Amino acid sequence: MAAMTAGVTGSYVGYIAQRAFLGKESRDRKLRATHTKAARRVTNELSVLRGPAMKLGQALSLQTGVIPDEIIQELSTLQMQAPGMHPSLVRAQFKTSMGAAPEEVFRSFEPEPFAAASLGQVHRATTTTGDAVAVKIQYPGMRRAIESDFQFFRTVASTTQLSRYIPESMVAELEQQILAETDYRREADNIDFFREQLRPLPFVTVPDVYRQFSSDRVLTMSHLNGEHLDRFLARRPSQRLRDTLGAHLMELFYFQLLGIEAFHADPHWGNYLFGPNGTVGLVDFGCVKSLPHEFVENLKTIFLYPGDRNSAEFRELLAKRYSLRGETIKPASLTALVRFTDGFIRRMYPPEPEKEHIPFDFSEATFLREFIDESTKMLRAKAALPEYIFWARAESGLFQTLHRLKARVRTSLIVRKYLGRRPGAARVGPR
Amino acid sequence: MTAKSASRSRRTARPAPAGRRARNKEAIKGRIVTAALALFQEKGFDATTAKAIARRARVAEGTVFNYFETKEDIALYFFGLEVDHAIAEVRANAALRRAPLEEKLFALVESQLEFLAPHQRFIGAAFIHALRPTSKLGFSVQAIDLRTRYLAFVQELIDEALPQNTGGIFGWLAPQVFWIYYFGILLYWLNDESESKQNTLALLDRSLKMGVALLEKGKA
Repeated sequence: MAAMTAGVTGSYVGYIAQRAFLGKESRDRKLRATHTKAARRVTNELSVLRGPAMKLGQALSLQTGVIPDEIIQELSTLQMQAPGMHPSLVRAQFKTSMGAAPEEVFRSFEPEPFAAASLGQVHRATTTTGDAVAVKIQYPGMRRAIESDFQFFRTVASTTQLSRYIPESMVAELEQQILAETDYRREADNIDFFREQLRPLPFVTVPDVYRQFSSDRVLTMSHLNGEHLDRFLARRPSQRLRDTLGAHLMELFYFQLLGIEAFHADPHWGNYLFGPNGTVGLVDFGCVKSLPHEFVENLKTIFLYPGDRNSAEFRELLAKRYSLRGETIKPASLTALVRFTDGFIRRMYPPEPEKEHIPFDFSEATFLREFIDESTKMLRAKAALPEYIFWARAESGLFQTLHRLKARVRTSLIVRKYLGRRPGAARVGPR
Repeated sequence: MTAKSASRSRRTARPAPAGRRARNKEAIKGRIVTAALALFQEKGFDATTAKAIARRARVAEGTVFNYFETKEDIALYFFGLEVDHAIAEVRANAALRRAPLEEKLFALVESQLEFLAPHQRFIGAAFIHALRPTSKLGFSVQAIDLRTRYLAFVQELIDEALPQNTGGIFGWLAPQVFWIYYFGILLYWLNDESESKQNTLALLDRSLKMGVALLEKGKA
């Protein structure tokens, strides 16, 4: 029985296929028409594999550059979106998880969602004590759907172009991460972890978790104020405010990466809420990545490396990052990495202290293109570690947000703040 | 009526008001059904005897037969309650009035499953019984009546949502197809081992969306 219906119920792919079936055809057709021939082949492969593969596809597309920008855009919006739940399904799913209907648990509960979330949707509610909360509810059966998709993905990927680009270790990393995202209890732990760790940054707000109204499939959090990027930009914020926000976002990123050694790896602009004074509210902690301490220490020595980046010493530092993981990097890959660090990275993060006060202008369109091109070369040279999937995803999310903000940011000044910073003594990272 | 209760009613000076008598009868019937369902769940449908039901319901064995000829009649009565309950729930839910068809059908099936949830073992047995040629659960007058009542409501929901479908071959076929679909869902639900049977919710949601989309395309 289970095997018989697996195709209908047990596949994340099916959710998205269903979306297409239910009237998105015209949009898809339009999209397909814009593809180049080469892109079409890969995108078709990806479109069969939507869902988690979409996430993988996004990481891949950013790094291979095979897929045109507009498609990347499309991929990133489709990614991890479960189908919408109507009020009756929301109620049923809430009941199976919490043992009571939403209206029995809350003073008020809006049956229509106000936001889509990874794997589900978010509803406004008020607790019996009058607190405004956001209740995230997961679409039923996600775990199994994702598992069977990965099974399918492995079968298909091994017979197609995809496996040439994606090593199994990356697929495994991705599967583990996405499966972890289906457990909202873990996300609640992540929220608690980040609220504690991000305290030193006064401009960041992280919601409170209401454990008594949460489970593995329901997550109740305090409601955060602020606006999504589009709304925020529609108010035509001043350049100064945009620069402030840009600096805040960048500091938030490097504080996490170098200070906490764990980061919110889904900095899609939907997960930020911007306040009028440049505050940043963070939501959706499903995708959180911890980095090995040695890896971060190594990163600190490489970042803003002042000397000759073609020197043997620098190459050794780079190679060490791989040997830490028990991997060896080929000389050709190492050369590609050196070129990336000496070119793109150096321009974006100038190591010379006298250049620290010259802001990097993220409004330029060329830098994003260059970032994608350079990352592609890295991947082609097989210089990517599994950590890079999420890092690259987080970084490209950040860059795209900064670009849309047209922010000017003193990048190196911010990074340098955290190069010397020792990570917190107790390493109780997010799970 | 057993001799004992008959003699008691004869002794009564004045017959009880019709309303109260009917209520009494309903109460006894309810006790029998509750007792039977508990036993079906504990001991299984086949292993449950009329004697055991009577003992559990604290009535005479003959009383059980007064209300229900066979165990299958108890089952049919229970399924009747289930259908009426689900229809009433959907009708009473004001929020559903403007909902799309797939949501109304979802709410209907979901409230049926919720009603059936404590009796899964018995539902499984009833399934097997229904397949026997002599079973009342399959094609007896009562069973057909029950199905007609249920499908009339499904038809009503469909007509309400897709008035242009009324009268067409698709409009006529849809409830019949839904009946078969419902049994597929029921079978899946019985075998669903996911936590809180959430895979059934997913299947129900997605298949209904698909089905309604097909129905809408069919009208063109």
